[in-house]
Amino acid sequence: MLGCARLAILQQLEYRFNLIADTVIQPVIVGLVELTLWAAFFHSTGNQTLNGFSREYYLSYAVWAAFVSRISTSWMYESMMIEDIENGTVNSILVRPISFYEYYLGQFFGYKVFTTLLSLGAPVAVCLFADLPLVISRLPLTLGLVFFYLLLVHTMSVAIASLGFFFSRIHHITVAKNITLWMLTGELFPLDLAPEPFRSILIALPFSSAVYRPVGYLTGRLELNTITEGFLSISLGLLVATVVATALWNAGRRRYSGTGA
Amino acid sequence: MLKYIGLFKSFFKASLISELEYRFNITVRLFTDVLWYAAQLSVFEVIFLHTKQLNGWAIEETRVFMGVLFVTDCLYMLFFSENLDRLGEKVRRGDLDLLLMKPVNSQWMLSCQKVSVAYLGNLLISSGWLIFALSRVSIDPWRVLYLLPMIPIGLILVYSIRFMTSATALYLTRADAVTYIWYQVYRLGTRPDTIYPTALRYAVLSVLPIAFLASVPTQVILGRASPFVLIYGALLATLFLLASRFVWHQGLKRYSSASS
Repeated sequence: MLGCARLAILQQLEYRFNLIADTVIQPVIVGLVELTLWAAFFHSTGNQTLNGFSREYYLSYAVWAAFVSRISTSWMYESMMIEDIENGTVNSILVRPISFYEYYLGQFFGYKVFTTLLSLGAPVAVCLFADLPLVISRLPLTLGLVFFYLLLVHTMSVAIASLGFFFSRIHHITVAKNITLWMLTGELFPLDLAPEPFRSILIALPFSSAVYRPVGYLTGRLELNTITEGFLSISLGLLVATVVATALWNAGRRRYSGTGA
Repeated sequence: MLKYIGLFKSFFKASLISELEYRFNITVRLFTDVLWYAAQLSVFEVIFLHTKQLNGWAIEETRVFMGVLFVTDCLYMLFFSENLDRLGEKVRRGDLDLLLMKPVNSQWMLSCQKVSVAYLGNLLISSGWLIFALSRVSIDPWRVLYLLPMIPIGLILVYSIRFMTSATALYLTRADAVTYIWYQVYRLGTRPDTIYPTALRYAVLSVLPIAFLASVPTQVILGRASPFVLIYGALLATLFLLASRFVWHQGLKRYSSASS
């Protein structure tokens, strides 16, 4: 798997501008858009706080949400898995002494670790420069939660990719899934702003550990108990996702006849 | 002109037959877009639970803004998105060669070859939302007619910017990075321009006129912007369309076939 991780890093380094655009430029623009939205909100209302938190907390949340959401989503590797199954390239992976899951898990994590290290400097610098709330000592546990969440993301990706054994053209299922997660993770707004009962449901789901919980914890909005709850909800989600992914993969494999890639 | 209309009818028919082969795909696309609409709406609906106005925009006006955004976005997805997203791939695979040999304008051919008819359903939904939102604001009904020129202007500007970013595939080996940046620039157009700081606001109204996607048309129909902005928008659209043609022709001079 470490070899797969290394492979992913080398592949990304082939097109360095693409890498910089994906890890830095994109989240900077997203962060800028969301920053302006929250700045406009506080400017309009004249309020000093919203839900008990000041303007600076929301600006810090907007900055970090843009970066953390880039780490916790999976477009590229899910698309690659789907394409491998659709065009038969999966045959070459099936004969290797490593499972399809492990092969892409190694690449996925290698890519995410590398891009995380590349992109982290920017939000830290912004928060320090603009004096926005940031508890830097919480960063390791925050990243730990995000990377544990990535296991769930990868397992879901394998489940969706397995649908490629049954249907052609499932790219739009990936898009639908990612847009759904976009709403559930807290990237758009801190989940504690949602009205009840949505608020409780959204926070209880494991997807809140993609952005809301880690960013909330890192910026001082939330406390340690939210991280432990996050680990627990991800574990439960991972259990469900593993059962579904395994069932779909096995059913797909039984159905699959190699197209000879 | 008649030739192009006839060609477009053929493209539409071929696209329809092709899309109807995968009916599940049409349903998923419809569902995906509804999710996207819900995501965009949820941000403002949640924000407006905590405030009555956002830099001069009330919730009813913001819903009109979202309606115009959904309709323009839907038209862009219907006519251009799939074609422009695949331009880079066509360049890399050499599929461009066959297209360049045809006796029609290559830019038009590239941009209009595939019509994503699956988005016709989305057009109904987005139009429905716009009509609902307009019914909740007090405006002179005749002002809604300004959408007839404003939406095409916004569409031409979005198309031109996107075409220029896609055409970078002729200059760079892989233009994925530029595509990533484009999606984020597009995101600037999904917020009213009045929430941006002055420098950024000027940028989205001139250098990168993504504000014409929805913000400017909405402000015209709400009576916040003079209809003369229509003339400015039309001039800008012409300029950007000519710029896209220039970028395309310059790119073709650099293009060496991938030997198909």
